[in-house]
Amino acid sequence: MSEYFPLIMGVALFVLMIPVVYRIWVGPTGFDRILGVNVIGTKTTVLLVIIGTVYDRVDMFVDFAIAYALLNFVSAIVVSRYLNRTISLKEMEAKEKKAKA
Amino acid sequence: MNSNLMQFALASASAEGEGVLPLQWLGVFFGCLGLLFFLGTAVGMLRFPDFYTRMHAAGKGDTLSTMLMLIGFALFTMDDFSLSSWLLFVKIMGVVLFIFISTPTSSHALMRAAFEDDEMPMTEEDLKKSKKRRKKK
Amino acid sequence: MDTEVPNMVTAVLADYRGFDTMFETVVVFIAGLALLAILKSSSSSKRIKREHEVEAEPDLIVTNTVRLIVPVIQIFAFYVLAHGHVSPGGGFQGGVLMGASFILVALSWDLDEALARFSLNRCMTVAALGIFIYAGIGLLSMALGGEFLDYAELHKILPVSPEMARYHAMLGVEIGVGFTVAAIMFALYANLSSGGRLRDGL
Repeated sequence: MSEYFPLIMGVALFVLMIPVVYRIWVGPTGFDRILGVNVIGTKTTVLLVIIGTVYDRVDMFVDFAIAYALLNFVSAIVVSRYLNRTISLKEMEAKEKKAKA
Repeated sequence: MNSNLMQFALASASAEGEGVLPLQWLGVFFGCLGLLFFLGTAVGMLRFPDFYTRMHAAGKGDTLSTMLMLIGFALFTMDDFSLSSWLLFVKIMGVVLFIFISTPTSSHALMRAAFEDDEMPMTEEDLKKSKKRRKKK
Repeated sequence: MDTEVPNMVTAVLADYRGFDTMFETVVVFIAGLALLAILKSSSSSKRIKREHEVEAEPDLIVTNTVRLIVPVIQIFAFYVLAHGHVSPGGGFQGGVLMGASFILVALSWDLDEALARFSLNRCMTVAALGIFIYAGIGLLSMALGGEFLDYAELHKILPVSPEMARYHAMLGVEIGVGFTVAAIMFALYANLSSGGRLRDGL
């Protein structure tokens, strides 16, 4: 039981990520896709700790997990800042249509 | 307190032979609880009708499930109570604290970006329309 | 055993193939210089409002969180840089984290706020200082009678054995790499996000 727990946990995480990947793939708006990427990025910290537990090198992989969490936060802030600074996506599409017509 | 806990853990380990420590059982419990919450996130991401409700599922469930799973693994990897395993415990708890602060903030930033981009939340009328459409089908 | 460094990857990267790593750092520096040369000359410092941009206030919640998090990121960057001998890490990774902390400041407030703390002139000085530290350690070991980047010769001036001298010199080299990478990361962000104007960026 004890040695199988991390593996089972990792597989379950992967299975539960499938709906989130579906949301990234289909997502009606761009924000849905960004949200899905953010969720998976947060879960990657857990996956890194799981991988560390499987290979008995948790002390090493925890550092990766911290760095990944930091960079994931930075990426979310980048995207939201960019969307804040620019006009809305609908207006952009309308402008493109105008330019084509 | 620390040495008491250690004696308790070691005594239970020797009683069970090669069995799992009670602390590890606690870790497994926390991990499974986290998986349950992540199930909620996944179903919410799949089935909720508009962006803001999906954000609700993703923001809350994601933060709590990640924190619970990391706490579970922090307890699970606590084999002996040596200095290095305590260091590992503190590091994983650092990740938990970081996620506790950063994930709600990024959710808030994304929500604000969507709101200022005129992404409209679904109203009751929209819901009625979509229900009618489903009935017609 | 030539060296006391437990992490083989770092030992190979910074010691046995030190020449390679030094010129990798120089490549990073040249990338920053090329960007400056291209963007500085082509851009006027006048404020040009691009048509898809709108004004945005810094968000209160994000700025307060970043105020909490940035010191943690910087301390973690120093940890990654200095702990590269034992666990995975080193100058490049620590430098990237350090640069990310400045980028985070620039994102959550605005570019001016970050440039007031770490101006572009200071950026390029720090980047050049990083290469100077790296090459200086190499030249120092040459002056002490070895070859270029032969750190073992440093035991003549450090009160340690030749193996430990390699260990300490490698730390100095990693610090140099970290300086260059962090400064160039931020300089690249500041220039690219504002098109060389260094104001009203992303």
